[in-house]
Amino acid sequence: MEFMGYRRENGKVGIRNHVLVVSSVSCANGVVEAIGRALPDVVTVVHGYGCGYGRIEDVIVSGRVLSRLADNPNVGAVLFIGLGCEVLSPDRLVGEVKGKPVEVLVVQKDGGSAATTAKGIQIAARFLAELKVQERVPASVSELVVALECGGSDAFSGITANPAVGVAADRLVAEGATAILSETTEMIGTAHILKRRGATIEVGEQVERLVNEHEKKVREELGDRAGMVIAPGNIEGGLSSITEKSLGCITKAGSTPINEVVGYAERPTKQGLVIMDTPGYDIDSMAGMVGGGAQMIIFTTGRGSVAGFPAVPVIKVASNAEMFRNMPGDMDVNAGTIADGDKTLDEVGQEIFDLVLRTAGGQKTCAEVNRSQPFNYLKQGPTF
Amino acid sequence: MKSNAIRVNAKDNVAVAVHAIKKGSPVVVDGQHLLDSVEEIPLGHKIALSPFSKGENVIRYSEPIVETTQDVPAGGWVHVHNTQPILSDA
Repeated sequence: MEFMGYRRENGKVGIRNHVLVVSSVSCANGVVEAIGRALPDVVTVVHGYGCGYGRIEDVIVSGRVLSRLADNPNVGAVLFIGLGCEVLSPDRLVGEVKGKPVEVLVVQKDGGSAATTAKGIQIAARFLAELKVQERVPASVSELVVALECGGSDAFSGITANPAVGVAADRLVAEGATAILSETTEMIGTAHILKRRGATIEVGEQVERLVNEHEKKVREELGDRAGMVIAPGNIEGGLSSITEKSLGCITKAGSTPINEVVGYAERPTKQGLVIMDTPGYDIDSMAGMVGGGAQMIIFTTGRGSVAGFPAVPVIKVASNAEMFRNMPGDMDVNAGTIADGDKTLDEVGQEIFDLVLRTAGGQKTCAEVNRSQPFNYLKQGPTF
Repeated sequence: MKSNAIRVNAKDNVAVAVHAIKKGSPVVVDGQHLLDSVEEIPLGHKIALSPFSKGENVIRYSEPIVETTQDVPAGGWVHVHNTQPILSDA
């Protein structure tokens, strides 16, 4: 099975061909935003840190997320804007970005904000012109890495949207593609189940360890309030155990074996279903999976999360028809049709799979049209 | 017939009500009238598709999620009042 994508020099294929303009530190955000105002077709990425770190691990993680976003196959060219005195300088970011044009400007060296902005506009405009002539070529569906996400879940998420995504995930894996399940917090209660689904005994034990250690961390951090995260959450809503709640989440990963467990923003080396250790917080979670190479995200929601992501299409699957109707132009798939009896689980799963292929070939999602692209990364230590 | 409950996996022995189901009403899953409820089932809650003995596993997503703490009739409400987490999973 094929789609038309952008072949990169490192052999990977992108489903978009974006020019990315990204700050290495928040002080440089203004210049990035000014370039974005002059050239609305570029994807601008600004963020909150790049300096002030209390822990080297946080420097490493934010650097990994930023550089791997730049390296993502959906990005055709990247311009980094640094300030000049920050901890996370652009030269720490460029090494990971291979096989595409990369330029760096530094505000303190390039003549200040106005001059750097002017230079940046020239560079980004040139990138846009160069990428415009690049054509899509046939690529195999097995080259797709699809991130799976849920946010703003409701009572229906586990019976409509998530199972339907699971059907699509199984079909993608059958075609040789990679699907990433994340949000370790939402696996609590299913360690024993996920262990059995490991493709090897070793992988099964890795998953079990990951989930159990995370549960321990949550209990240590939250103490008495751990119930907020670990409790069924909504006993009134009908969930009888944390296992049931988490099964409702992991069902979006379908039924195939788990082939690998990777850390935050690490690249899977195996195809099929893999698990990435990320927080439950949607934005950090998506940033991790995009850092791992995901070209697309399937995102289920019941309450109505509208979050997209920079440079990566997010397909929104609504768990209930009421929200789908109340938020026109934000949701791509109405899985509430399953609850209404209008469509079967398999039909909606097929609908999602078909939309994945069309999105890969260039069809824009609602979040892309709306330019919804919140960005953040996991930061665990203090700020000084 | 219009479904009023969803069974996600064929192995599941409970279905989840997508509307509140009144006592004595048909429970329709995948367009099939499987049985009648014997009590009120709130929206989002589980209904037994066959009788449970005390200590039997409740299956959803083809996995055990809780075990019953008493007998539950087919068409009965299954929730925290008549189930408990399965201790051997710890």
